[in-house]
Amino acid sequence: MASRGINPSRRTFLTSGGALLASQAVSRWAIGSGKNDGFISPGQGGQGKSLVIDCHAHVGICREPGTTQELSAPWETVADPELILRHAREAGIDKTVIFPINNTSYKEANEDIARMCQRYPEKFIGFARHDAQTESGKIRSMLFHEVHDLGLRGLKLHTQPNPEILDAAKELGIPILYDSNEHVELFEEFLPSYPTVNFIIPHLGSDQSANWPGHLMAIDLAKRYPNVHLDTAAVVMTRYLEKAAKELPAEQILFGSDEPEIDCRLEIFKIRLLNLPKEKEELILGGNILRLLGGRV
Amino acid sequence: MKALVIDSDAQIGVGETWGSPRRPVDYKVEALLARSAEAGIDRSCVMAPRNTLYDSPNKQVAELCEKYPAKLIGFAVHNPQREAGQLRRTLSEEVKVMGLKGVRSDGHPTRELLDAAVELNTPVVYYPDLSEYPGPARAYYMIATAYPSVTFILPHLGAYRSWQWWAHYEAMDLVKRFPNIYVGTSSVVSRKYLEMAARELPPQRILFGSNAPELDPRVEMYSVKLLKLPEQSEALILGDNMRRLLRL
Repeated sequence: MASRGINPSRRTFLTSGGALLASQAVSRWAIGSGKNDGFISPGQGGQGKSLVIDCHAHVGICREPGTTQELSAPWETVADPELILRHAREAGIDKTVIFPINNTSYKEANEDIARMCQRYPEKFIGFARHDAQTESGKIRSMLFHEVHDLGLRGLKLHTQPNPEILDAAKELGIPILYDSNEHVELFEEFLPSYPTVNFIIPHLGSDQSANWPGHLMAIDLAKRYPNVHLDTAAVVMTRYLEKAAKELPAEQILFGSDEPEIDCRLEIFKIRLLNLPKEKEELILGGNILRLLGGRV
Repeated sequence: MKALVIDSDAQIGVGETWGSPRRPVDYKVEALLARSAEAGIDRSCVMAPRNTLYDSPNKQVAELCEKYPAKLIGFAVHNPQREAGQLRRTLSEEVKVMGLKGVRSDGHPTRELLDAAVELNTPVVYYPDLSEYPGPARAYYMIATAYPSVTFILPHLGAYRSWQWWAHYEAMDLVKRFPNIYVGTSSVVSRKYLEMAARELPPQRILFGSNAPELDPRVEMYSVKLLKLPEQSEALILGDNMRRLLRL
């Protein structure tokens, strides 16, 4: 973006990396005070802080040559890792969990993720992705290879997991981030049988708050199952972020963005706006996903 | 000196949400004012949420604007199909007597509504129902062509919550083709389209909006700030454009 002609106080806002620490006192926000032109008084963000990890981003291209899917929707065509890195740097995000965009089967796409993590080992944490409907019977061996040999650390799903997937994840000790396409109730089909697997429901249960009752269902599920976590990616109705932060243990909420389609700079701002105690905010912004990944990233 | 910030898109009063799934709402003015103040908004263009009949909701908006004249600018809402034959008289009173400054069309605008808008010199906010139209372009071509002197405001850069992402492209193309179409910024989730709009459209045609209190005006404000525009362009988008349109 153009930087010419920016006045000094705005430059301060921008060079602080937009890293905003919500103050405990509303007055520190200095919004509309006229005291500075920056939207929010630059805080002390960035120094001596704990690891900030975005748990939800997509990288890759569509690996379905000759299909209409190749060039139909933005999130099914290409997800640019450089854009994620740029936004994350600006937002003060240290690492990002990445996984493939939509494909029919994921062997190649998961290898792409592994390669990307090798290229940027300090920045990306790779999750595999699989589909029980199209890869049934082959997933176990693929997933073991992807975790043990390719270094992938978790599993992203967009279709209902089968026992093959769930048993493999359980044995490998990896978390599952499952987007059930607004049908949060589907989780109860397997949750009672897998109490030791950590599940992450993205978007607080409803992508872009398209179906806001999904937020309520997800929060309810997290109350009943301690191994259910909610990621905050692309939640538009932020009152449900506030509700989740108020009603759930902080340990069950994970910051995510859904980059590159969604802007992590705005997504992390929504977390800062919650004005949580430092320890809770740090858990949400990275401590929890770090824990789910065995304390090692 | 801090530029005046006017939110082009806020709601107060009782009704239902505009977005689906619908739910009954009672948007309190005090909550709107408090959160808007936190966001650095000086004045809010307020209109009723979805209703079957709008006489009473519009009157309530007007009354609240009288109570908070420094903070609120009232817009009427009308359903041109349901209110056919009565619109001109009602809207005239709302603008000339009650002091409302614009009108939102709940439903495709009719000649009756747009003739009244021309006569009263009020902008028309219109968000086409994207379950009826493939995109906003199809809904806007005829009204923008037939009424070149009406200022149309297309909220959400054409697609509430970016759900129909192609509608963002259509909204930008509409602004490029029709000098009387403006776009609001509220609820744009896929921010790359907002960035595209900021790059491709004259800043004079973009209006900051928040859709408060349904959405958080602090988030919506930050989304515009994140564009990191030159100060003058940002000032236009945040309030100067709206001030000019409403002759404030």
